[in-house]
Amino acid sequence: MRLAGFGILVSLVATAVVRADDRTGVAPRPVSVVTEMIEHAETGDEIHVPAGVYEGNLVIRKSVVLDGSEGAVFDGLGKGTVIEVLAEGVTIRACAIRASGDDVTGEPAGIRVVAADATIESNTIEDTLFGIDLKQAPDAVIRGNTIAGKDLDPGRRGDGIRLWWSHGSTVECNTVRASRDMVFWYSENLRIVRNTVSDSRYGLHFMYSHDTVLEENDLRANSVGIYLMYSNRITLKGNRLTNNRGASGYGIGLKDCDDIAITGNALLANRVGVYIDNSPSSVDSTGLFESNMIAFNEIGLLATPNTHDNVFTRNAFVENEDPAATHGRGRLVSNTFAREGVGNYWSDYAGFDLDGDGVGDVVYEPKSLFGAMLANEPNLRLFVHSPAQQAIEFTARALPELRPESTLIDPSPLAEPPTIELTLAHGSGSGGWRMALLATGLLSTAIGCVVVVGVERGLPEPKTGERA
Amino acid sequence: MSAITSSRADTIPSAPAAPPLVRGITRFARREFRDALASKWFLLYTLAFTVLAVGVSVLSLSGVGSHGFAGFGRTAAGLLNLIMLVVPLMALTAGAGSIAGERERGTLLYLLAQPVSRTQVLLGKYLGLAAALVCSLCVGFGVSAGVLAWRTGGVGIGAYAMLVGFTAMLALAMLSLGMLISVISRRTTVATGLALFAWLALVFVSDLGLMASSVLLKLRVQEIFGLAAANPLQSFKMAVIVNMNASLDVLGPVGAYASNTLGAGLPWVLASSLVAWTLVPLALAVVLFARRGSV
Repeated sequence: MRLAGFGILVSLVATAVVRADDRTGVAPRPVSVVTEMIEHAETGDEIHVPAGVYEGNLVIRKSVVLDGSEGAVFDGLGKGTVIEVLAEGVTIRACAIRASGDDVTGEPAGIRVVAADATIESNTIEDTLFGIDLKQAPDAVIRGNTIAGKDLDPGRRGDGIRLWWSHGSTVECNTVRASRDMVFWYSENLRIVRNTVSDSRYGLHFMYSHDTVLEENDLRANSVGIYLMYSNRITLKGNRLTNNRGASGYGIGLKDCDDIAITGNALLANRVGVYIDNSPSSVDSTGLFESNMIAFNEIGLLATPNTHDNVFTRNAFVENEDPAATHGRGRLVSNTFAREGVGNYWSDYAGFDLDGDGVGDVVYEPKSLFGAMLANEPNLRLFVHSPAQQAIEFTARALPELRPESTLIDPSPLAEPPTIELTLAHGSGSGGWRMALLATGLLSTAIGCVVVVGVERGLPEPKTGERA
Repeated sequence: MSAITSSRADTIPSAPAAPPLVRGITRFARREFRDALASKWFLLYTLAFTVLAVGVSVLSLSGVGSHGFAGFGRTAAGLLNLIMLVVPLMALTAGAGSIAGERERGTLLYLLAQPVSRTQVLLGKYLGLAAALVCSLCVGFGVSAGVLAWRTGGVGIGAYAMLVGFTAMLALAMLSLGMLISVISRRTTVATGLALFAWLALVFVSDLGLMASSVLLKLRVQEIFGLAAANPLQSFKMAVIVNMNASLDVLGPVGAYASNTLGAGLPWVLASSLVAWTLVPLALAVVLFARRGSV
């Protein structure tokens, strides 16, 4: 004990001499200072940690509120978990947390909670392997935190937020960047709202987690936006999934999930908009896709051939390189692409609507020879966006015996894109004047060239020397 | 001071000596540019390109409604197809008509009688036509950019500017090839025929041939990429896509291979393919034109 005290003293003096925190001008202190504050507090007390850097690993064993809004920074010094919560009903608010260990075996985190009713609010967590890790911590609230992972190879990163057996928790308005996943294991009845995940592996990842609503989350530039696996009765509403790419990049991926409802989401410019692998997997269950905007993806809908009993209605498939494809050989005809006479909008639909009822008079059956070739020879994807690709499709139209079978049949394709109300705000319109400027610039270049060159006439021009 | 003036007065009247290289070139370039502007092909191509570019821009944005996701990436994909069809055709036929046309009309003799070298004539013509082509592209892209700004609020201005730039490079490369064809052809019809053949070969035949051989010969990804990058049209396409997406993963395994191995050097490799297609045919044309005894 005395030895430990001496050690702390030495380290205190040493750190005080060596460096002072740049923000506060106060030398870093060991985190035991905060441990003592907690020990002296009553259960339920609110502890305002004074500004400064607190080094080491903090363990909270009492139900208190830890408020760091005065400028408290918890620095794990690259070892272990920075803050570990063992007591129920703890709140951690407005703390800056940094530098956990990076050894995967101990799964070091910024904040780890192993008790119920925790509130983790408005913290900034950076350079930690895992961000916020909940283990058997039901009814937690994780709100408004900003998390950035360690600068590691994606395969070695930890999860930004992980819930393990933590039913009834709320995760909202968090921003996670450069982590592995925001992942939910065996956790039911969650509220996952308005989170932003970017530059990570899977934006939102569900494993065996049922009965949850995911609303208005923004998943950008991840490998996969939302990946649901072995999770049933989940609703995806008003989420925005953009630029989720990579070798197996999807906007939304579904693996063996029953009774999923996906409505009013925007899936834009992903490698694959929706990927379905054997969902629904049980008898008598379905999947519903309604009023989604699926646009500008390489493949709008990709499904394994055994996929069945999904219903697609009122979705807009706009300008996807390939609207729908089968992952492997086969067709998607065991799914339904219209409900009660209302199908989907397909921007490549070449039919017509003579009676003007808003539904095309001929069925939609995409038959892309190039698409069929790609299924067998993926290397040929190099030639998309080229006249050669158009030539192949043209040949297939001219010679029907070359045409492959259609991947799917929509019996009632919509003549006009359905109005899809998205609640999530989109960045738009800001650069309009710049584009107009570019347009003006280009046009005036052309006009300027013509004027400047056109002013002088005649050839050969009289030489100045000759005149003199 | 007076010494300088007097020395200038002495040198300039020695008239028959060829004017400095650059001045000769620019003079011919100007003439060529004016001729191009006055010609029907130029107006027709400009009009066609503008109408098609605007059409593609509008069509590719329809159906997205008010989502505000300015689909420039998608517009670019549509524009790519159009550019790869129209721009090489424009540049190849313009180049092919230049020398062969003068030769057939008999005006080439008149041109060569000027106190300029054959190289200056050829380079002057090249630059004049190049300027005319770039003007034509500026009109098409300019109007199209105006439409995009009006319809979408125009995100992706950098990518659009780069698209214009790469298209200009493609036009210059194809113009070089057209000039080479023009130098070796005696008649305009032959030159135009050869230009159309070259267009067909570059736009369709080489790609389809490479597709077939990559399947039949089971070419490896690096071989497919190398062969594709040798085609200026594919190089152009890949350069535009790399510039837009920062990666070629859109183009499947071959694109992913290229992105992973070449990394940041990839756009440069592709651009250098385009530059090579500009310089090599032009140099060949200069050499052949200078050597050719007959007019």
